[in-house]
Amino acid sequence: MPADALRIPLPTTVTARAEGRAIQSSQKMPTDVRDRTTETELIREAQQGSRAAFDILVRQYDQAVLRLALHLTGSEQDAQDIHQEAFLKAYRYLGNFRFECSFYTWIYRIVTNLCLDQLRRRKARREDPAVLVDSSGEEMDLLSNVSDDRAGANPDRELERKILGESIRAALEKLTPRERMVFELKHYQGLKLRTIGEMLNTTEETAKNTLFRATRKLRANLAEMR
Amino acid sequence: MAMKCDLAQQNIALAVYGELSDEVSHQLEQHLLECATCRQEMQAVRGLQAAMALYPVEEPSARLLTQARMRLEEALDNMPHGSWFVRFTQNLTRSVSRLRATPVMASLLLLAGLAAGGYGGYRAGTRAHEAEQSKLVLNLGQPPAAAEDNPAQIANVSSINRDPHSNMVEVSYNRLVPETLQGTMDDPRIRQLLLLGTQNNVNAGVRDDSVGLLAKECRAGRECADGPIRNALMVALRYDRSPNVRLKALEGLEPYIAEDMRVRDSVLEALMKDSDSRVRSQAINLIEPVEGDSSVREVLHTVAAQDDNPEIRTVSRQVLQQLPQIQ
Repeated sequence: MPADALRIPLPTTVTARAEGRAIQSSQKMPTDVRDRTTETELIREAQQGSRAAFDILVRQYDQAVLRLALHLTGSEQDAQDIHQEAFLKAYRYLGNFRFECSFYTWIYRIVTNLCLDQLRRRKARREDPAVLVDSSGEEMDLLSNVSDDRAGANPDRELERKILGESIRAALEKLTPRERMVFELKHYQGLKLRTIGEMLNTTEETAKNTLFRATRKLRANLAEMR
Repeated sequence: MAMKCDLAQQNIALAVYGELSDEVSHQLEQHLLECATCRQEMQAVRGLQAAMALYPVEEPSARLLTQARMRLEEALDNMPHGSWFVRFTQNLTRSVSRLRATPVMASLLLLAGLAAGGYGGYRAGTRAHEAEQSKLVLNLGQPPAAAEDNPAQIANVSSINRDPHSNMVEVSYNRLVPETLQGTMDDPRIRQLLLLGTQNNVNAGVRDDSVGLLAKECRAGRECADGPIRNALMVALRYDRSPNVRLKALEGLEPYIAEDMRVRDSVLEALMKDSDSRVRSQAINLIEPVEGDSSVREVLHTVAAQDDNPEIRTVSRQVLQQLPQIQ
């Protein structure tokens, strides 16, 4: 995006004010510029106390955050906790956001740090990685799917897929929290290593090395499992 | 220069994720044309990439999303509104109230926290948009309207109830009772009180002394492991209005610059943004011995070009030249 696109003045009709109404604008601006200036306005309003503006900001990111947390932790309960803590933290510390990085990076930095904490806690507790837990806290029995009487379903293949999926997850769990985090953000979320470095408060170089170590370890872990 | 196998193998992982520059990518290609081992490695990493699809990212179910959103709404509704300052002070108060202490001590700490929170509430009140959210109204220094012969000061007003059917208004408020505690710097109660002292917006001398004493503890390496004291110093460095206080905070953080990224970043920020040249100079001095990684170099470049103070520009340039080259 060319630098001078950022200097386009905000049309006076663009407003994010009011109780969740959609953003209105009388002019068609290039989407990313309008989005960026709109988001800036939203952030400023939220910083000045508008809960409605904050709610709109949350909506732009909360699904992605939940998705990331769910895949990383494998637990609906943990994912919800991270989702909640992340946005509460964002609300609390919104005053600290000085537009030095994008809001996206800022939010994700909060989320990834919470995820890292969660991963470290799990390592300390040595949770069994191969057990799936649903949102009510009940353990899901992989084999219970075999007795499902679904027309057209192939129970053996379903089961096989689940087991293979589990071995991938188990291999991922053997990585250190940082390696897991970098791999998740790179492979599953498709972020650039430079962005990942910013989010984890480290350099791109370190992120590259971490990715390399993660891929090495994963290959070794998966080879063992076969 | 031809690429060697160990470098190639590192680059293969990066290549598969599209992270190589065009030039390095080209060099890798050249290497792969001639090296069967590395070609196998490439296949293996691609295989790994494909295998990962067996544990795909799933969209959260609508139920999960709704549930998460509702819980968040509720939690946000229950949060007191105010500036980050209020929040920080409330966090402080919470950690202080967890402290095991004599009952008198506990009420002192709680009230002191309320006083600090009350002042922050005053600031939040002047900035709040919606009237219903500014629940904190400060009434410091004015005697209570009720006919109580009580010399105690009022810390803040916590709630107001209007009776719609009469002229009665019910106001709940908290009183502040002044107390004193004596102890050494090892006493955790003294430390907690000093932490609160760093937030005293009314009395710069108190802030100065609090930050000074805590900074001394940090420099001596006593009980300053990651936690409230280090955080308080970083906050003081960033936000305190008095340059003397900021200088003291900087001194206290010195031992942690090398090992703690957050400390280092806050010192770099001070170097770029602090309005006082003494603080910026001191920041350069403290950054100098640290490993010259990319963010340090960037900040020094900016300061060398843009700082108002010619001496600081010169010193930055000198430090830049002395920094070890990044690999």
